[in-house]
Amino acid sequence: MLIEILQQTINGLAIGGVYVLIALGLTTVFGILGIAHFAHGSISMFGGYLTFFLVTSQGLPVLAAIPVALATGILLGLLVEMLAYRPVRHANHINAFIVALGLTMMVEGINLQLFGHEQVVIPTGLSRVFRFGGITVPELRLYVIIAAIVLVVAMMVFVERTKTGQAIRAVAENRDAAILMGVNVKSIPLIVFGISTALGVAAGIMVGALFAIAPGIGEGFVVKGFAVLILGGLGSFPGAILGGTVLGITESIAAGFISSAYKDVIAFVVMILVLLIRPQGLLGRTP
Amino acid sequence: MLALRDIRVSYGAIEVVHGVSIDVAAGECVALIGANGAGKSSTLKAICGLVPVSGGSVQFEGRDITNASGHAVVQAGITMCPEGRQVFPQMSVIQNLRMGAYTRTDKDQDADLARMMDMFPILRERQSQAAGKLSGGEQEMLAIARALMARPRICLFDEPSLGLAPKIVASVFETLAQIKAMGMTILLVEQNSMMALNLADRAYLFEAGKIVMAGPAKEMKSHPDVMRAYLGH
Repeated sequence: MLIEILQQTINGLAIGGVYVLIALGLTTVFGILGIAHFAHGSISMFGGYLTFFLVTSQGLPVLAAIPVALATGILLGLLVEMLAYRPVRHANHINAFIVALGLTMMVEGINLQLFGHEQVVIPTGLSRVFRFGGITVPELRLYVIIAAIVLVVAMMVFVERTKTGQAIRAVAENRDAAILMGVNVKSIPLIVFGISTALGVAAGIMVGALFAIAPGIGEGFVVKGFAVLILGGLGSFPGAILGGTVLGITESIAAGFISSAYKDVIAFVVMILVLLIRPQGLLGRTP
Repeated sequence: MLALRDIRVSYGAIEVVHGVSIDVAAGECVALIGANGAGKSSTLKAICGLVPVSGGSVQFEGRDITNASGHAVVQAGITMCPEGRQVFPQMSVIQNLRMGAYTRTDKDQDADLARMMDMFPILRERQSQAAGKLSGGEQEMLAIARALMARPRICLFDEPSLGLAPKIVASVFETLAQIKAMGMTILLVEQNSMMALNLADRAYLFEAGKIVMAGPAKEMKSHPDVMRAYLGH
């Protein structure tokens, strides 16, 4: 029993890592611009598709394809900010919301046109399985967990320890005061979208390697990403990390002990229960 | 050093500053006094690029900075300590202070940080606390220290006494006097006219978006109109 719980926890950590990466992107964008960036999931999956394409059609090694996909992610993030959200920056919030929905459909359509409707799995060639006691950990899953931890730590260090990272926080907390500190508030959204989209692409690659990418998967992940934000507490970085991990492990344990058909139901039931007790989320502040 | 010529500020169709001209010389402390809504704060915000200037010009050290973007104004050497303190509530006291030095690239930032905490010992005590947890007076001290961290050539203070208890107001003004004694050029907006006139070298009296009187602070203080309307005599 204990072994089984540990096993499912390890499994949950991998998918939890994906949720955390998606949620970190969403929470930074939301914190700075107040936008519910729904297209984030679809763009993330575009990154996964792109990696698949580079590996299978172009014959690139996976380790070379990943940096190309991440760089493309940064570029896409910049374009999304400049072309989609900047024009509605000073308009009513509903406009940005509609742009986000339209962008989601557009990116989903592009994914479908470019990569087809078949589900794809990024071939990594990592097939070894490690055993620790009674727990089996596939090599790939371990690397995904490690990569997610590295990215999350890098993001935390960036936000807490660098001037640009602190400027991002400052703009989220008080835009006018940030201007008075000399922050160029026009460049901050660009940086935020670049980084967020790269994190999303990393998550997309993980999904493509661990499971499979197919049309509509991205939308599912963005909904989970927002669920994680609400579970962890809106606008809280540690909240997004804790929320994503909790959601991943809950899903995995539910799938292992009850039924994988019900894993989403159980994950959302847990979320509803948490919010009934702590409406501000696990690490959210009471307003 | 700072010269405003006939500047106008509007919010949409409504003009709130109808052409004011203000000069601040290096090392001087100038106060803008007047009733609430007279356009004093709007004038400061226009200098800092927070609201657009719809007419006239702003010159700083001979350079035209009319409608320059906010960060360019800071880089030029103008820093504002905003109304209502506006600290970054969830960032620590240290992080707030470091944000003050955002545009600086020199190596003296740590030394300045230590200097600020010598000047305001309470900030050293609270250095790792979230700024939002500080009392109003402590937040004002933090906002002042944060503004000084930029090593500005002129420091603008917008209503530093607003919403503070009388005892704290007195200590805020002691601090401002200390900063003035350090040789800092100051442009101060303040509703507490008596305090402002005691501190400043010169003052401008605002009424309904216009300057109706200007002169040395001492003379303004004893002017019958100012005394009657603003000093409560």
